[in-house]
Amino acid sequence: MQLDPVTIQVLWQRLVSIVDEAATGLIRTAYTPSVKEYYDFCCAVFDRNGNMLAHSTVTTAGFLGIVPEVMRNFVKFHPPETLEPGDAIITNDPWLASGHLIDISIASPIFHRGQIVGYTLCIVHHLDMGGRMSTLESKNIYEEGLKIPVLKLYERGKLNKAIFEFMKANIRVPDKVLGDVRAQFVANHVCMRQLINLLEEYQLEGLEDLAHEIIERSDASLRAKIRKLPEGTYHNEVTLPPIPQCPDRVRIKVAVTIKNGGVLIDYAGTSGEVGAAINCVLNMTRSYSAYPIKLALDPTVPNNDGAMRPITVVAPVGSVVNCQPPAATWGRTMISHLFPEIIFGALEDVMPELVLGANGGCPANEIYLHGRRRRDGRSFLAIQQHSGGFGASHRFDGYSTLCFPNNTRNIPIEVTENEAPVRFLRKALVSDSGGPGFNRGGLGQVVEFSILDGEQGPEDFAEGSVRLSNRGETGDFPLQGRCGGGNGRGGGLWLNDKPIDHGIYRRFKPNDRITFQLGGGGGFGVAFKRDAGRVRDDVIAGLVSIEGAARDYGVVIDPRTYEVNHAATEALRARGCPAERRIA
Amino acid sequence: MDEYRIGIDIGGTFTDFAVVGGGQVHVEKVLTTPDRPEVAVLDGLTRLNRALPNLLGAAEDVVHATTLVTNVVLEGKGAKTALITTRGFRDILEIGREVRYTVFDMFIRYPKPLVPRNLRFEVNERILSDGTIVEPLDETGLRAIAASLRDQKIEAVAICFLHAYRNPENEARAVEILREELPNVEISASHEVNPEPKEYERTSTTVVDAYVKRVVSHYLERLAKALRQRDYRNNLFIMLSNGGTATVSTAKRFPVQMLESGPAAGVEAASYFAMLANLGPILAFDMGGTTAKLCIVEDGKAARTRSFEVARVHRFIAGSGYPVTIPVYDLLEIGAGGGSIARINDLGLIEVGPASAGSVPGPACYGLGGELPTVTDADLVLGHLNADYFLGGDMKLDRMAAEAAIAAKLGTPTGLSPLAAASGIYQLVNETMAAAARIYVTEKGKAAGRLTLVSSGGAGPVHAVDLARKLGIRKVVVPPYSGVMSSLGLLTAPLAFERSRSIHQLLETVDVEQLEATFAELEADAAALLPPGATKICERSLDLRYSGQDYALEVQTSGGANLKERWKAAFLAAYEAQYGTVDDENPIELAAIRTKVRQAVVLPAISGAKAARDAAPKGRRDMYVANLGEVRLVPVYERAALRTGQKIEGPAVIEERESTTVVGDGDSVTVDSFGCLIVAVAPTVAATASAGEVEVAEA
Repeated sequence: MQLDPVTIQVLWQRLVSIVDEAATGLIRTAYTPSVKEYYDFCCAVFDRNGNMLAHSTVTTAGFLGIVPEVMRNFVKFHPPETLEPGDAIITNDPWLASGHLIDISIASPIFHRGQIVGYTLCIVHHLDMGGRMSTLESKNIYEEGLKIPVLKLYERGKLNKAIFEFMKANIRVPDKVLGDVRAQFVANHVCMRQLINLLEEYQLEGLEDLAHEIIERSDASLRAKIRKLPEGTYHNEVTLPPIPQCPDRVRIKVAVTIKNGGVLIDYAGTSGEVGAAINCVLNMTRSYSAYPIKLALDPTVPNNDGAMRPITVVAPVGSVVNCQPPAATWGRTMISHLFPEIIFGALEDVMPELVLGANGGCPANEIYLHGRRRRDGRSFLAIQQHSGGFGASHRFDGYSTLCFPNNTRNIPIEVTENEAPVRFLRKALVSDSGGPGFNRGGLGQVVEFSILDGEQGPEDFAEGSVRLSNRGETGDFPLQGRCGGGNGRGGGLWLNDKPIDHGIYRRFKPNDRITFQLGGGGGFGVAFKRDAGRVRDDVIAGLVSIEGAARDYGVVIDPRTYEVNHAATEALRARGCPAERRIA
Repeated sequence: MDEYRIGIDIGGTFTDFAVVGGGQVHVEKVLTTPDRPEVAVLDGLTRLNRALPNLLGAAEDVVHATTLVTNVVLEGKGAKTALITTRGFRDILEIGREVRYTVFDMFIRYPKPLVPRNLRFEVNERILSDGTIVEPLDETGLRAIAASLRDQKIEAVAICFLHAYRNPENEARAVEILREELPNVEISASHEVNPEPKEYERTSTTVVDAYVKRVVSHYLERLAKALRQRDYRNNLFIMLSNGGTATVSTAKRFPVQMLESGPAAGVEAASYFAMLANLGPILAFDMGGTTAKLCIVEDGKAARTRSFEVARVHRFIAGSGYPVTIPVYDLLEIGAGGGSIARINDLGLIEVGPASAGSVPGPACYGLGGELPTVTDADLVLGHLNADYFLGGDMKLDRMAAEAAIAAKLGTPTGLSPLAAASGIYQLVNETMAAAARIYVTEKGKAAGRLTLVSSGGAGPVHAVDLARKLGIRKVVVPPYSGVMSSLGLLTAPLAFERSRSIHQLLETVDVEQLEATFAELEADAAALLPPGATKICERSLDLRYSGQDYALEVQTSGGANLKERWKAAFLAAYEAQYGTVDDENPIELAAIRTKVRQAVVLPAISGAKAARDAAPKGRRDMYVANLGEVRLVPVYERAALRTGQKIEGPAVIEERESTTVVGDGDSVTVDSFGCLIVAVAPTVAATASAGEVEVAEA
């Protein structure tokens, strides 16, 4: 059937609203903050061939390249002829699904008039999957928790209780995790019901004609934008900061080739797997490598298979960005979150108006606190995330404390304090941490909390880990500015004022004080060319100090009146910008 | 002498009036005067006074809604405001939730914090999550801050301390001290404005409240005084965002609660007609020039929420504004209105809205210089609108211009005829609204097919029937006075005051008698605000959820035996209905209790149509009939001429000054005794509609 532009748009819009409705069902019935606060999930709908047609608009970028692959894998294990109405398939296999055990994928076939017309899939980052918790220390996946093979969780609508019992026996907070698994089932249920309504309303036998239009048009749209860039191969190479307790240094090497309306991202030359829980499966690498391309070139087209097709991601088998079993993967975002920045670095000269300075909190900060509290004898598990400064662009200053490239809301302090025996002492912007530039990077922040006294008895405990980027203004892989902008600053982790390694699970004592700082974003353009009035505004707000204004921007501010001393500023600026001197 | 009740709604463009008295409704409309809103109010009252002498002297009450609070924030015209927080946390207001409201925008924008960093102060004090004071308020430090605020000529102060919702002691003491030190400064404290956890949202709400307080209270005082000078002797009531009412003195204390007063009044009007016509649960639908609004109302109770945003960077994108936690009707706002622009996107497909041509330059057919095709242009080309009877003929529409704009911008690139492209716009804008409505209805746990659509606004009745069909809704009601629905709603809403309390206890451990006492306490507090002789009705409800979830479902309760069992059963039934499954792993928690104390409803008498016999069509014209997918010659009726009980078979069109009701094939319309048009929407049209769409496209 030939579909006209109006009908295509009507049906496409409807598919997106169906997966968003499924996401609504998930959010409203879920227990874990990673769903309710972080939106670390996705709901998607596929045609009968496993082509992804729509992806919930509420989601994190980490699922972009994963979702289509997961569905293809499910169909390989459970071909259509083995499926019946009411079936649901589950797995958390990192290689078949989304790259670490703590994500559970659940898919359901959608039957209409006795035939499979499509599939629905919901992936959720859970609170716990057993094993070691939230640590980079694991050497292989067996330390990291329970692996659920690709199994039918529901058969013809009947729950396979054995799977739930295995899970219950292996995880710390089974009531919450299983509650969230049920929420995923709710999401699939909503998607299924609404898709069938759609088919009935428009009297469609299947989704193939629509799928063809959606995929071809999305593909063509991105290709048209890629064709506007100069063809060629562009390189970048970085060495990551040392991973605590891991002897291997990780080098990421990328070649981005723009040719014939396609982008090939090749990680040849990247280091091999490491004995720390930071290895990325290829699905994960694909997601965060495609993200900066889509973000910069074709951000408004809804996600589907076609929107990914012009982008090819390849990596050597066994490298840290295409790891193989039994590599440990829990903290894979330590690497995958860096791909957008590394790719922007490669394309900085090709499309300067479409790149961002580094995000000061990237790779994402993550905090787990777990233990038992005396007050009510209940165990607690509190997770938190805080963000560094957003990178500046050719258009704007970066916002302070804004998440990138993942997208997780912070958990309110009042919520965390209610869950865990901690007291926050501060959560504040760090002056001068934004990378200087014609446009300034956003500011980073310092967060400090202590373990409450009086909550801990001899058999009670609080333990956990703080993971952060370990990057700053200098080092092998600083928080880079772009197009002459300065690097972001900050970063660090202290226990009772002594620096400690991040990413390590440790036990805390009452009154222990944990302090950490997340860096500012990279600047954009030459700082000495920033308008002095804008620098003055930053000084008045305390975002830049008077010393910082002179040092980083060559702007002299009178400490009593807060006015710009224009003569002194001109003289200072005549001597040239530190960044310019560095480039020269 | 007649006793009048007066409703006054100040909107962005017009200030609307509705007066009910002696079985009559009088309406008036004047242009809003943004700098001195009371000028337009007095102007309108003067006009009404010509037909209704001694209007104010004989008025029983005046109920008022206004967009003033929103405008003050949007235009940055509030007070010079400072913020005082717990030591270590002054940046919470700027740090926000650290999340991007859209993942695919590298140039994302947020509104600037209403309090700049140099006016955010910290004081030593600390309360833990259980309410324990681990550090008392540093009074000396606070007085030093007060001195600095005085020097900087600060006009308003917001105070937000951590966990003040649990234990307000330190905040309350800070308020006392600041009142001593700064007697002429407006003060808003978080434990009064928004006593709930989540520090960013609470801080933001308190800051908005402080920021608007002076402008709002000065305005309300001026208005009250002007009314008194014109012999008005009774209370001036203000509608709040949740349809509740407040006296001027309460509204002045918490002005942030007035943010959505106008839309709330609109919902009240829809809900009133629902009650009159005995409709059961409704979906109130208002479609104007820029936006469409939807709200579910069941048993006279509108859907409610506590999260709202003001001054969004992108009007229809959640997360791009200042969060405000207040009780508010849960309206869905969609970027779909008569002025919504249609264009070809990068995918080669037609997209409608959210960008709007507004009133200037407006749709191409206005002839005011607009060149982009809009929904109104499509409605005109399709024959839904009458070029010579828009606003009763006061505004002539240019059909050629509409057709030319559609042909140039949409027809040429897609190869569609102007008629096919126009029908595409019509379908797409309806589909956009339907898609948003489906998600909204799911969130509320309702099935769209069970609802009646109650339509208002200039563009509402043009699209209502087709929208209803898309949603599987079988009945549409178009009430009279749809051009002044909000001001009428101010009068139809019973005076109502709401109280709630957080409980956070597992249902099984709840002491029912204790709960009863708490309900009684809350109700006594609210009832004291109603007029002494009024018959009072209390509506109680519980917010229930599984322990560990954030979202609660509201369950009504009215006393009796085996309460816990019944609550549990009601919750499980509601949960199952909404989500298709229940959870047997987690216990049920009572999150909060709510009670609304209201006057027994005294419906204002509104008389319906007066014609003695069935009106004949005043003419016929070619109109695109969406559910046939083709153009037909259809009868055109004048709404004012219809007889009560008259029946009209679709396809047809019914015109009135402010709007036009479009009725499809197989639909039928009846006029009820209140003047409402009741449309029975034809069933099984989905199939024919989709076949029709293909035909049009290929035409």
